[in-house]
Amino acid sequence: MHPLTMMAVGLYGQTLPPQNGAPIRLVVPWKYGFKSIKSIVRIKLTDKQPPTTWNRLAANEYGFYANVNPNVSHPRWSQSSERRITTGGLLSRNRIDTQMFNGYDEVASMYTNMDLSRFY
Amino acid sequence: MRLLNKPVRFSSLTHHTLKALIHLCAIGYLVFLFYAGITDNLGPDPVDTLLNETGIWAIHLLFITLLLSPLAKLLPSPEPIQFRRMIGVYVFVYACAHLATYILFELQLDMALVASEIVSRPYIIVGMLAFILLLLLTATSFRRVRKSMGKRWQQLHNSIYVIMGLALLHFSWSQKTFWQEPVFYWLFAVVILQGRLRGIMVQAYTRWQRNRAKV
Repeated sequence: MHPLTMMAVGLYGQTLPPQNGAPIRLVVPWKYGFKSIKSIVRIKLTDKQPPTTWNRLAANEYGFYANVNPNVSHPRWSQSSERRITTGGLLSRNRIDTQMFNGYDEVASMYTNMDLSRFY
Repeated sequence: MRLLNKPVRFSSLTHHTLKALIHLCAIGYLVFLFYAGITDNLGPDPVDTLLNETGIWAIHLLFITLLLSPLAKLLPSPEPIQFRRMIGVYVFVYACAHLATYILFELQLDMALVASEIVSRPYIIVGMLAFILLLLLTATSFRRVRKSMGKRWQQLHNSIYVIMGLALLHFSWSQKTFWQEPVFYWLFAVVILQGRLRGIMVQAYTRWQRNRAKV
């Protein structure tokens, strides 16, 4: 496991609440949020790529790797920039450019020689 | 089938009160949404809530306009038709609010992004087509224009059925998968249109026959 991958049991200094995935969840900061699965009950090690929920539901929208990548568009929206969920209501200007691997360049070495627009 | 023996008529007071109530609800809800959004009282993601509410209520209002003529026949009463134009115009107003929310608050006036998104996302192209048709219907909704257009007015305004199809396609396509909430909207659309479908098909058939005769 890459050291940036976390198994979390808490949130904001408190015990992880059920709606955030108690008792234990995964946090993978350089991938889109749906890869950080909640409420882990079992871990199985396999030698093949396992089927994953979102990928099975809508393969064209949810790739297996799901690395944050401004150069690969989601079918329904561009992923070159993102609107952050902040406070301040409608008028807050919170759209920023999206960074490759969400800005965590230290994970790039795991994907060298891989066509990230194909394996999205 | 008729529910009542005598056609229902509204007094002028009832008519005006109802119209005022419709204006109040339709404008009131929009004002509430934008006010709550600006003051950050519209949930964790006000842009998302605003997009959903304006879009879904444009569709709800569209359904209401299409239910008015069957209602007029069912009662029977000429009154429901008196409210069709105003509710139809509100469909356009809600569609405007929906598009404005997308450009102003979702894409935050990044016009290069607006242009590229409008041309490259099929569900947005479909939504824009519905919007342009609604704009045409609204622009020709004035009594004076209606009179001067003659028969062509009805032909143009029959595109409301196309708009409904486009709007529902836009709704379905904006979801992760097809089997979600919009499915119920498609079913409802089929139910309210099934009475009209026969008429539309007969009309199309006679027109086709006539055209064939000409050739």
